[in-house]
Amino acid sequence: MKNLILFIMLCVATLSADYRVPVKVPSITFPIAVDQDFRVMQRNCQWCHSYGYVLNQGKQSREFWHKVVIKMRDVFKAPITKEDEKTVTEYLFKHYGNKKLK
Amino acid sequence: MQRRDFFKLSFVASAVALSTSALASSTRQPIDSQKISTVAFPEKRPLITYSDRPPLLETPRDAFTRAITPNDEFFVRWHMPRIPTHTYISSYRINVSGFVDKPLSLSIKNLKEDYEQVQLTAVMQCGGNSRSAFSPTTSGIQWGSGAMGCASFKGVRLKDILESAGMKNGASWVGLNGDDKPIMDKMPSFVRELALHEIKDDVIVAYEMNGEDLPYLNGYPVRLIIPGMYADSWVKMLSNITVSKEYKELFFMDTAYRIPDNECECETEDNLVSKTKPITTMNVKSYIGYPTSNTQITANSNVLIKGVAFDSGHGIKEVLISLDGGKTWEKSELERELSSHAFRVFKFTFRPKVKGKVTIMAKAVNTLGEAQPFAHEIEWNHGGYKYNGIDSVTIKVV
Repeated sequence: MKNLILFIMLCVATLSADYRVPVKVPSITFPIAVDQDFRVMQRNCQWCHSYGYVLNQGKQSREFWHKVVIKMRDVFKAPITKEDEKTVTEYLFKHYGNKKLK
Repeated sequence: MQRRDFFKLSFVASAVALSTSALASSTRQPIDSQKISTVAFPEKRPLITYSDRPPLLETPRDAFTRAITPNDEFFVRWHMPRIPTHTYISSYRINVSGFVDKPLSLSIKNLKEDYEQVQLTAVMQCGGNSRSAFSPTTSGIQWGSGAMGCASFKGVRLKDILESAGMKNGASWVGLNGDDKPIMDKMPSFVRELALHEIKDDVIVAYEMNGEDLPYLNGYPVRLIIPGMYADSWVKMLSNITVSKEYKELFFMDTAYRIPDNECECETEDNLVSKTKPITTMNVKSYIGYPTSNTQITANSNVLIKGVAFDSGHGIKEVLISLDGGKTWEKSELERELSSHAFRVFKFTFRPKVKGKVTIMAKAVNTLGEAQPFAHEIEWNHGGYKYNGIDSVTIKVV
């Protein structure tokens, strides 16, 4: 961990006004639930956003998570198949649900 | 297990603690004392971290004792996963096109040399700041109250840029597009539209923040500044300005960042309001920077309460402090006003005599007489926008 912090500090220190050194946004491991459907969620959601984006929505209803999955497909154009739509919704509701259907 | 300890356990535990009983809608204090990450982002010190892609960083409470929020503590909120780094800033261009006589392609050098330079100090606040106060839990990142900050910005008037391009008769909308990019081609990019009459003299295209280049994560090299308005319109990494005759439909204008278009701006989960409006201007709000929750104070010692207050630019008239749960209120002392759009620092000294818990509340009133309501009085909206409840911090007197 110390090395990581040192590395990031060095990166910051080398930033100049013109960014001659490419800016590197750190990658963070968010503790997401792993079960048999984890990979289905991963291959559909991870294209565009971190797991932090999922975890920090709060506990939500099944309908909420279903609408989120639909929005990601219809508005943000994530290529989610009909079958994955169902699996991802169930995964999110199971681990990040509030036990309410609606 | 103490709530505070619980937050220490997991990096993103904030969301987990937000499960609600959700019987009826009831608003409460937003989450507080979230864990600060061990990882620092470029040009930032470690902050409360909700996501790395896109980056979402919140400023901890103790930063809000000062009128100016330092750049390395300033909150970060992006919508798109791909944020270009402009390695060669000399080749960066802001394109002005559409319904104009003379389309422009402006470099940062052009901005600094060809236009009048303007400086102003203003509060930048995410429309969803304090969203975690709402119950039932609304959609969106469950922010505490640190998705805000106040900085001094330097740049060029948007109006001056538009005038130099020469707007054609009938021009009435200005589209502003940031350079952050979606992953999927057809995905909507983050474009905002302003009606021409909304573009006042203090709407600027800024390249400097608190005397330094705009930090990368705050929109380097240029972003829009619209004092008084929520930050969803303050387009970062501004790259395209498009003038048009008619309003174009946009996801981030027509679907996101909207509230019920009724007097209370409220609705219920079972009865969502179909007529909505953009969130636009900020309401009056204050936030205690010191002491933070669970601070231990020795009995009979002086405590200097400090915090910040702001509104949409009418200015703060007073900030009242209560030490008895909101039954009685006393005026705090206000520091000098940097600008009517800036954080106004308030100070209040007291000497706790009895050991035990003491709750400190702060309530701001603006020059129009608008005062902050209690947290539980704030009514619900589906996006969890515009929370401005009276802030509350509980300390321990030992």
